Amino acid sequence: MAAPIRGTLHFLRGLALMNLRSSLALRGAFWLQAGFMVLNNLAFFATWWLLFERFPQIGGWRIGDLLTLFGVVATGFGGSMVLAGGWRELARGIRDGELDSCLVQPKPVLLHLVGSRTVASGWGDLATGLGMLLVSGALEPAKLPATGVAVLASASVFTANGILVQSLAFWIDGMDALARQISEFTLTFSLYPRPLFSGGISFLLYTVLPAGFVGFVPAELVRAPSLALGAAALGAALFWIGLALFVFQRGLARYASGNRIGVRV
Amino acid sequence: MSSAIALHNVRKTFRVPEREPGLRGSLRGLIRKRAREIVAVDDLSFAIAPGERVAFLGPNGAGKSTTLKILSGILQPSAGQVRVLGLEPGRERRRLAYRIGVVFGQRSQLWSHLPAADTFDLLARIYELEPAEYRQRRDELVASFAIADVVEKPVRQLSLGERMRCELVASLLHRPEILFLDEPTIGLDVVAKATIRDLLRERGRRDGCTILLTSHDTGDMAGVCERVLVIHHGRLLLDRSLDGLRKGFIARKRISVVTEEAELTLDLPGVRRLPSASHRSDFELDLGVVGVDRVVAAIVAGARVLDLSVEDPPMEEVVSAIYASALSAGPRP
Amino acid sequence: MSTERFAREAGKYAAIAWLGARRALSERAAVAGRALFLAVILFIFGRVWATVLGPGGRVGAAGRDELIFYLAVTEWCLLSVPPLYLSIEGDVRSGDVASQMVRPVSYVGAQLADALGETALRMCVLGPTAALVAWWIAGGWPADPRGLWLALPLGLLASTLAVLSTAAIGVSAFWIVDTSPIYWIWQKLAFVLGGLMLPLELYPDWLRAAARFSPFPAMLWGPGRMAFGFAPGAALETLAELVVWGTLAALLLVWLARRARTRIALAGG
Repeated sequence: MAAPIRGTLHFLRGLALMNLRSSLALRGAFWLQAGFMVLNNLAFFATWWLLFERFPQIGGWRIGDLLTLFGVVATGFGGSMVLAGGWRELARGIRDGELDSCLVQPKPVLLHLVGSRTVASGWGDLATGLGMLLVSGALEPAKLPATGVAVLASASVFTANGILVQSLAFWIDGMDALARQISEFTLTFSLYPRPLFSGGISFLLYTVLPAGFVGFVPAELVRAPSLALGAAALGAALFWIGLALFVFQRGLARYASGNRIGVRV
Repeated sequence: MSSAIALHNVRKTFRVPEREPGLRGSLRGLIRKRAREIVAVDDLSFAIAPGERVAFLGPNGAGKSTTLKILSGILQPSAGQVRVLGLEPGRERRRLAYRIGVVFGQRSQLWSHLPAADTFDLLARIYELEPAEYRQRRDELVASFAIADVVEKPVRQLSLGERMRCELVASLLHRPEILFLDEPTIGLDVVAKATIRDLLRERGRRDGCTILLTSHDTGDMAGVCERVLVIHHGRLLLDRSLDGLRKGFIARKRISVVTEEAELTLDLPGVRRLPSASHRSDFELDLGVVGVDRVVAAIVAGARVLDLSVEDPPMEEVVSAIYASALSAGPRP
Repeated sequence: MSTERFAREAGKYAAIAWLGARRALSERAAVAGRALFLAVILFIFGRVWATVLGPGGRVGAAGRDELIFYLAVTEWCLLSVPPLYLSIEGDVRSGDVASQMVRPVSYVGAQLADALGETALRMCVLGPTAALVAWWIAGGWPADPRGLWLALPLGLLASTLAVLSTAAIGVSAFWIVDTSPIYWIWQKLAFVLGGLMLPLELYPDWLRAAARFSPFPAMLWGPGRMAFGFAPGAALETLAELVVWGTLAALLLVWLARRARTRIALAGG
């Protein structure tokens, strides 16, 4: 059983290398995209910074807490865009039949599709995120393990949720625009302090749009590390990954039956 | 396993939802889902031996791509049995993938911003090739497909012909036992097409790999393959060798003559005159009625011949005739 | 130009604008997406202000309700603007520009008319949406709702200014291949200097002063602050600023368009 795993890891390393080379091949565009993403994130944070200048405390949160939240989400998001950027194009790829090339090759289809693309602006998010984590003190040796788990968990839930929603394209036509909107909303909600939301909305943010597990829980893990929080974060990540894999596999089976709208003979 | 590929009574149907136009139709569609059944492949049976080079010919919508997808494991047949290299493609897709290569004419597996050489390296990992063996195989293919000077350039800077040659090398790196090609020469100019066909034929012979190529370009068929499967409306119309197809189906020849005289008259039974220019005459002979020798003799006797050629009718005609005979045989039951 | 000729020219562009509006109407999904996004943002910031201010808290003249309506107005102005820069950039890249320039309508003028038509339609959809969602979240109208009426014409002018700006950004594609970064910078400057989410009153003095040198406060904060109360003086001030900045933007656009045409004539696109 070790050999297939080694083979897959070897393959994933190959994909990562190709993505890196691809980014570097478009050097000018790379710096532009990454650079402007940094500016983009800073401008977004600037609004919050202004607010915190006037009101030092919002729902028990201070600017340092927001910095941690942003840092975790941005780093996770950036990593996802860089290493697994293909998830955003999944619905379109399903619609356009781009799966076929991956299906005839002996490696896991989802990994292949998701790992075949990289989004250069993700490096900008990574840079901003890591910068914020540094400033908020989350990269100190004592905090590093918790921060690592938090970023991993956040990225996993976000990416898996994205894959899940995009996979609905196996059943629903015109899914690509909707899927992107859903992911955008999830990200938006994850960047706001948890105490803002309560009750019904809060429930929604831990289930349908798992913003709570993309933002709040991982950030809390860094702020006040505890085994319980770590378990919650990782548990959520595993759950969403499992769900995404399940939905994708079912979709693939449906694809193999060929019963789709607009199928080409 | 005697056959590389074997199909028995394979049938593939698709259910395509029918949408009624207008608002009422959409609302009705919500309550009752109506679907139309399309039969893409109907009772298809054939076998291909290892090393054969077979063309799968048919007009658009005939079922060629569907059959190819069933054979490579992308689609599951609705009924029937499929065996490729002894494996069931639908169930053992991964195992089969190591032993087959697929080239989609309209889609590329090469990463467009990077040189083809980088994609080759990635494929070495995908197919788990031994580094030394891979390098040797790669160098051999690069030389034989003449892409040494383009293999380090980003793929998107290459011409369509160069890209297709890189695509073919990519699909051959892992020494597949079967190579499936779906419209490999589509969009290429005449010279590029001829090059690709020659390379495929050579490769098939040298590696001994089975080639199955779908196309609606009869030139692909003539240039690469020895056997032709003609498919129409999802059914197999014809399964014959290339020569047998030509000989058995149309017993006609074309004769073109260039004469010193402006006009040439020929009055023989079984000879039809085709439209031509002055000093040039084209005739079509029905070999069942008259032999080539008699017609040539008559021409030479009746005029001063500057140039004369005897040819088979173009492949398009052969194939059109096949389709026509299928249509005249009546609609499918 | 005689009056008759002018009327005919204007008629052409009006027709294009009308088509733009109808096209936007048919692309329901895109507009619906924006409306939903607007609602989500209003909801989130409703919560932010509720938490920050507490019940009855105020910032100057503005309480939570007013701040929510402020955001409704600024977002209404911004979200109604279509990504004109992308379509112009696309035309330049693909070379379609050349074929369009042969027609007896100015290319940039046509693009502008089309975008304005689309903007007008989006404003008609997003305006009532913003008002209703804000009303629902705030639990009522702002203290002095008369100001909102003043926000209407100001908002229309503000969006026009935004459309002119994005057109200029798009035209720069004749020289710069990828205009997206310029657009993003412009958008972020609008967010921060224009006070998209936070009214300028909340800014530190130095930033507020610096912002007034840019067109952005006129574009967003100007119409937005009408939600704080009926202030015809402030409205006139914003109106004047919008006219000045709008004229400057239009002049810039005309100048760029002319340079672009020369460039095409020389370089062949």
